[in-house]
Amino acid sequence: MEHLLRRNLETSENNSPQKALLQALSLISNPSTSNSTLSSISNTLILTLKTPNSNPFIHHHILRLFSLLKNPNPNLTSALRQFSSSSTRSLADTLACSNISVNDEESTSVPSTASTRSRADELACSNVNANDESTLLPSTASASSLAGARAITNADDESTYVLSATTSTRSLADARACSNADDESVFVPSTTSTRSLADAFACLLSISDSNNVNVNDVSTFLSLVFKPCVSVRHWLLLNVSRFEIRPSVLLTVLLGFTKDPYPDIRNVALIGLADLCKCVLVEDGGLIRGCYFRAVEFLFDFEDSVRCSAVRAVSACGQLIVSSTQGRSKGGWSDALFLQLCSVVRDMSVEVRVEVFNALGKIEIVSEYILLQMLYKKASSATNKMDFPGQYSEKLFRIPATSASFAFLHGLEDDFVEVRESACRALRTLAILSAEFSKEVVNLLMDALNDDSVAVRLQALDTMHHMAMFGHLKVQQERLHMFLWVLLDSHSLIRCTARKVLKLTELPSLDMFKMCVNGLIRDLELYPQDEAEVFSALFMIGQNHGKFLVSLINEVSQMIEPSSGGKLGYDNVRKASYLVLATSAPVSLKQRTCSIPPRIFSYAVTLLGRVSRSLADIVDQRTLLAYLSYCSRFTFVSASEFFKMEEQLEKGDVLLTQRREISKYHAGRKLQLKEAESSHLDFQIEHNKEINCVNIMLQVVIDIWPSLKLGLIDEVTQTRRLSLKAELGTISNNNHRGGLVFALQYIDALERLGHLWSHLVFSKEFYFHEWGKLECSLNKLDRCLRDMRYKLVGLTKEDNFLILELIIAHGILTLCNIETCANKTTLKKLHSVISCIEHICGEGSTESSNFLVEVQKSLSESNTSSCPILDNPYLLLKSLEYFTPRKVVTSRNLKYMEAELHCQGNEFQNPLPFISGLPVGVSLDITLHNISSENMLWIKMSLEEKLTQFVFLDLHETEGHDELRKFTFVAPFYQTPKANYFSLKICIVLECMSDDERLCRSRGGPKHEVAHLCEEKEVYFSVEVR
Amino acid sequence: MPIECLVLGAGQEVGKSCVVVTINGKKIMFDCGMHLGYVDHRRYPDFSLISKTGDFTNALSCIIITHYHQDHIGALPYFTEVCGYNGPIYMTYPTKALAPLLLEDNRKVMVDRRGEKELFSSENIAECMKKVIAVDLKQTVLVDRDLQIRAYYAGHVLGAAMFYAKVGDAAIVYTGDYNMMPERHLGAAQIDRLQLDLVITESTYAATLRDSKFAREREFLKAVHKCVASGGKVLIPTFGLGRPQELCMLLEDYWERMHLKVPIYFSAGLTIQANMYYKVLINWTSQKVKSTSTTRNAFDFKHVHSFDRSMINAAGPCVLFATPGMLNGGFSLEVFKQWAPYEQNLIILPGYCGVGTVGHGLMSAKTPTKVKVDESTQIDVRCQIHQMSFSAHTDKKGIMDLVKFLSPKHVILVHGEKPKMASLKESIESDFGIPCYYPANNETVRIPSTHYIKADASKEFLKSSLSPNFKFLQATSRADTDFILNERTEPLVRVCDDRVAEGALILQKDGQHSKIVHQNELMVMVGGENHEVQFAHCCPVRVSNELKDVALSPGENMPPVLDKQSLLHLLYTKLSNDLQDLTIQNDGDRLQIESFIVSVCLKEKCPHRIHVNPDSTSEAVNFCCVWSMGEEKLAWRVISTMKNLELKSG
Repeated sequence: MEHLLRRNLETSENNSPQKALLQALSLISNPSTSNSTLSSISNTLILTLKTPNSNPFIHHHILRLFSLLKNPNPNLTSALRQFSSSSTRSLADTLACSNISVNDEESTSVPSTASTRSRADELACSNVNANDESTLLPSTASASSLAGARAITNADDESTYVLSATTSTRSLADARACSNADDESVFVPSTTSTRSLADAFACLLSISDSNNVNVNDVSTFLSLVFKPCVSVRHWLLLNVSRFEIRPSVLLTVLLGFTKDPYPDIRNVALIGLADLCKCVLVEDGGLIRGCYFRAVEFLFDFEDSVRCSAVRAVSACGQLIVSSTQGRSKGGWSDALFLQLCSVVRDMSVEVRVEVFNALGKIEIVSEYILLQMLYKKASSATNKMDFPGQYSEKLFRIPATSASFAFLHGLEDDFVEVRESACRALRTLAILSAEFSKEVVNLLMDALNDDSVAVRLQALDTMHHMAMFGHLKVQQERLHMFLWVLLDSHSLIRCTARKVLKLTELPSLDMFKMCVNGLIRDLELYPQDEAEVFSALFMIGQNHGKFLVSLINEVSQMIEPSSGGKLGYDNVRKASYLVLATSAPVSLKQRTCSIPPRIFSYAVTLLGRVSRSLADIVDQRTLLAYLSYCSRFTFVSASEFFKMEEQLEKGDVLLTQRREISKYHAGRKLQLKEAESSHLDFQIEHNKEINCVNIMLQVVIDIWPSLKLGLIDEVTQTRRLSLKAELGTISNNNHRGGLVFALQYIDALERLGHLWSHLVFSKEFYFHEWGKLECSLNKLDRCLRDMRYKLVGLTKEDNFLILELIIAHGILTLCNIETCANKTTLKKLHSVISCIEHICGEGSTESSNFLVEVQKSLSESNTSSCPILDNPYLLLKSLEYFTPRKVVTSRNLKYMEAELHCQGNEFQNPLPFISGLPVGVSLDITLHNISSENMLWIKMSLEEKLTQFVFLDLHETEGHDELRKFTFVAPFYQTPKANYFSLKICIVLECMSDDERLCRSRGGPKHEVAHLCEEKEVYFSVEVR
Repeated sequence: MPIECLVLGAGQEVGKSCVVVTINGKKIMFDCGMHLGYVDHRRYPDFSLISKTGDFTNALSCIIITHYHQDHIGALPYFTEVCGYNGPIYMTYPTKALAPLLLEDNRKVMVDRRGEKELFSSENIAECMKKVIAVDLKQTVLVDRDLQIRAYYAGHVLGAAMFYAKVGDAAIVYTGDYNMMPERHLGAAQIDRLQLDLVITESTYAATLRDSKFAREREFLKAVHKCVASGGKVLIPTFGLGRPQELCMLLEDYWERMHLKVPIYFSAGLTIQANMYYKVLINWTSQKVKSTSTTRNAFDFKHVHSFDRSMINAAGPCVLFATPGMLNGGFSLEVFKQWAPYEQNLIILPGYCGVGTVGHGLMSAKTPTKVKVDESTQIDVRCQIHQMSFSAHTDKKGIMDLVKFLSPKHVILVHGEKPKMASLKESIESDFGIPCYYPANNETVRIPSTHYIKADASKEFLKSSLSPNFKFLQATSRADTDFILNERTEPLVRVCDDRVAEGALILQKDGQHSKIVHQNELMVMVGGENHEVQFAHCCPVRVSNELKDVALSPGENMPPVLDKQSLLHLLYTKLSNDLQDLTIQNDGDRLQIESFIVSVCLKEKCPHRIHVNPDSTSEAVNFCCVWSMGEEKLAWRVISTMKNLELKSG
């Protein structure tokens, strides 16, 4: 088959080569043809190419077949790849052959010219050094010297072209043209060799893997491109980027071809210029300017396509000039380029207009007066009579600055979507050049939002977003409604972009703010699927416009209130939106007091899930909740305070996560160490075992205070305390017992304090359901401290000091807990405790602590400032930071007041008899430890929490000493209920005799707070049965 | 042959457009309009100026109608049926479809309503329309062998076109009315860049600069929305075609976007019918309508319903389009009477209202006011009035833009008011340097036209034209390469390609045909000889004293030491030293630099010697220099060097 093919190809018969080619074509295009067949075909074809064949027609087709071999058969690629390298080489050989033939023609052509002229050529050639780039431009003294690039192939080195710079080149070209073209083919101007060479090139380009061809490139390219064959020239210039040609040569060649009479050639030359200018930096300003002005001429070409590529070339050359110019003329050039492009903005071809706006958008420097001129049709005083170099029409060589007038409005009003879109996009860069211009641009864009094309609206919004990011988006109220329409657009992408813009928009007035909020709410009403984004937008604009927000929320707060049924009803989109808006309030008012009613924040909590989803990128749910609960707790929350807190919180947060692991470890380590230490001590001092143990225990607790502060009580201390408690149970020695109790209570108090404090400070964990718990915790602490203060006998000043400090800390925490209603009492107590401490300090021997100083400071501060401490207890919280536990040594004899209470023969099954309405006596066996007769003891009897009756226990009338008293006492209970059964809770309490708080009780009973000395005993009564 | 432009109508006025242009002997009538402001003979163009004999069919090659407005077509049936023109008439398809409707409507108004004498009948109109040949956009029509015409989109109204006409080499464009701004329902004028001798353009708004349509639309929508939102009724009196469609599309869009449900009504009659035409002729509408037409016809208004009298006093807000536009009677006036007294209602006047109409009265009035509707009735107008200037004509900037784009050799302005035309003429002439005229009615303007001569081309010339032959010209570069903006700047590098102009035009022997030949062929063609002009100068060169003794003395026998060769050699070495940039060849008898040749002159009286100084001859040797014209600069440079030389031995 190969032979057949070959024979057919080589015969001189008319039809057989064609048939053979067709055969080859059918084989090549048949996907089932095997690779070996294909390779043999290609070998045959190459052989045919190599044999001197006179028929250029066959050459052309063979080469076309080669490109087919490569392209349409993807399965063959692998097979072809290995083959292609060899084929490329052979093709290159072919190319070289035909190249030589071209050269032959040329060499024969030279002697045919007059001998004097050829001599002149030689002269000229020797004069110009081809390697020197600058000689591309006529730099010789002769002003009209020529630099027609003429390629004369030369195999020696890579710079295989020679430039001739004399008039005689023309004759050379003429001669070449004469010799190339045989007489018949004048009107079909392709000469055979030129064609096949170009075909070979095309084939090579399509086969070779790399994008570039480097087979004797430049010379062949240049020699081909100067041939009279227009189609080849067109093809070459179109693919110019795929040849490796030095930019300077290329620039010259392309510039030259812009003078070609064929519009297609001019077109591709311009495209080539534009592409080249984008990627090179040519230092020769003159040449680039030449290109620029040449391209400008084509803005007035009769062909649409030429004008279109002219715009591109003008833009590219102009940009190159601008970028390579420095100083004042840079702006001038940029303006000139801008105006030049503006002058063709009204071109009738859509492609040209699109291209013009694309090009305008790339310009980065434009004088403000020119920008402003664009907004008006009338020439402004600044632009009047101004003109720039360029071309205004075919004949006018200066562009008036007025040609910018209305340029962009024309673009935005254009009939074609592409143009409008391009114009919108072009404004991106320009709009941020001048504040005054951008103000007007916003209005234009607002109008463009009315466009019927989605693409244009989107682009307009995108441009606005861009402007907003540069802080140039200032919307006028009368235009705002245009913008708000877009929020209701049926296209979701547009709504989304609109919201994005809105988030960044600066609204100068409350009315506009309200309009925007309403717009967003309407958006939400119409498109519920937008909820997350609408909320996010509301939050953002609220955050950006704090002042307006507060007044708006206060206006609508009535509306937000729960409806009469007490239901919050936040399915109502509007209410929900307002709540979200309110949420953003304190964030926006970093330093000012926020006057939004706190309950609104608590309502907002009901929307937590929805809100936090929409604010996912801003804040996480926990923080948001913490923040909302924070804001909702205080009637007059100071947002600034919150933010200080927030900072701490953040700090704490980091610490927390870091420390949680570390501190646990440390605490554990310390405990181990101390234990080791203590066992060592144990060994030394056997008899004082308990005391030592307690002391070590105390020390440990103090050491781990920082972790306690973070709320880390759990496992670390738990075990220790339990063991301590167990120890307490076994200790019988009275002396030691007091010390142990003290230590235990001290540890307990510290733990509770740490727990409370960490909850208050890290309000992230401050959930509502925990409030009750906290309250409880506070009470327990209070009780514990009271016990410490009053029930221990023999406390030193230091001990007292320590307890008082703890009381202050407790007071502060109580103040900070909104649930505590007795704020004033707490405050009074705080003051009295402080005066107490001052008294202790006044006696000397004990130093005041940092903590105390801070507390005193903040108390006095809040007294002097307008804001009373009750409004802002958080000031005190700060001072709590200074609190550190003191070292305690419990070596002294501390006595602990205790009481035991028994009611003989009374239990649930065996109640005491009573007669309803008449008093009843309860006989109680009482044992008292460490209680002197100076203490005021009461028997507290409470009937179901409602009715409490105190009976004074006069210790003077009892027997025994302070350490131990045992006696029986009949306590009367007067107000027996009218019921068959009732029970009383009876216990012995100690009136805390200090001069601080005084409870006013109408009926007889303790005048001060009381501390329980024993567990409550329940005593049961029943109506006597007859 | 000059182009003659006879303005029969719309010269320095707005009304009865009619321009007769003679290009290379062909007479074309552009538009045949009627003046609506006159009822006498001035209503029609003075056709007698075209042909004294009244044989219009032979006098005119064709009539071209740009669009269906009465001031552009109103006189056509009269001209064809009454005056007897029987030649071809060209107009676009939509114009052909809509013109009879409007002609009939207009005839009715004139004859039936105003009781004027009938100038042409309905049959005349039908007959006239039979002669019309419809053309499509950008379709080149050969009217006859020499005359070709082509229509371009003009915006303005449905089917409006600009016409390009070319006879031989002379080409003109007659714009008719056009709009450079796209509207919702119509696109902007669109034309190719053409080589034109003349553009005849309308100039209705020759001195007006219109603001962007954005503001207009915004105001309109705002006014309408405000009114319907507060429960009011909106009345928009309009003409039947174009305007209602435009406004309705605007409203429809807005309604859609704002989710409004308020009904929009079209009063029955022409408008509904016109909507139908718009739907059919969708290809002549704006890009938007065209592009969406595959999914939904933009003229299938969703919110529009037809209206009847019973609904005038129906409750609730609505928007109503009603004819006529000037509230000078008919349905719109009827509705106006009902709605005007209520404050919440709104009347929108979207265009021009003639003097004496109710609309005109409203335009200048401030509500509340009283308006006399007719002799007996006076209406208490309390409603709001909103004016709009929607116009389908281009403004000054648009005209300038078009002229700039087309860059014709001449411009003639028609269809405008005289003072404004004058100012526009000034602008065109000063800004573009294009001569501009605005003839009055019945005046003729003659402008020179391009005339091309057909010539054969020789093969060699063609060949040379095919080969690129560009070269670069470099302006003398200034010392400061920095570009100075305010100077008239020529680019430093310019490119030229002379290959096309490189031939010679020869009038062949028959005196009829001409031919372009390549310059190389010229000698053969004209059978002439090649003459070359050469310059010569005999230049004395001083000889040093050292050589003096052995110097040549004219007429005497030469001493053997200094012969011609050695002198030449001496000169050669000297010149080579002084002119190092030049390549000097010495072939023994003469020195050659390019074409400049120097040889020793031993003649006693050389004709090229200027200064014959007997004293100096003894000290100098003469060299004869010959050069051709091209090397003049070089020659004088060498000669001046030679004059300052002194030949020494060694």
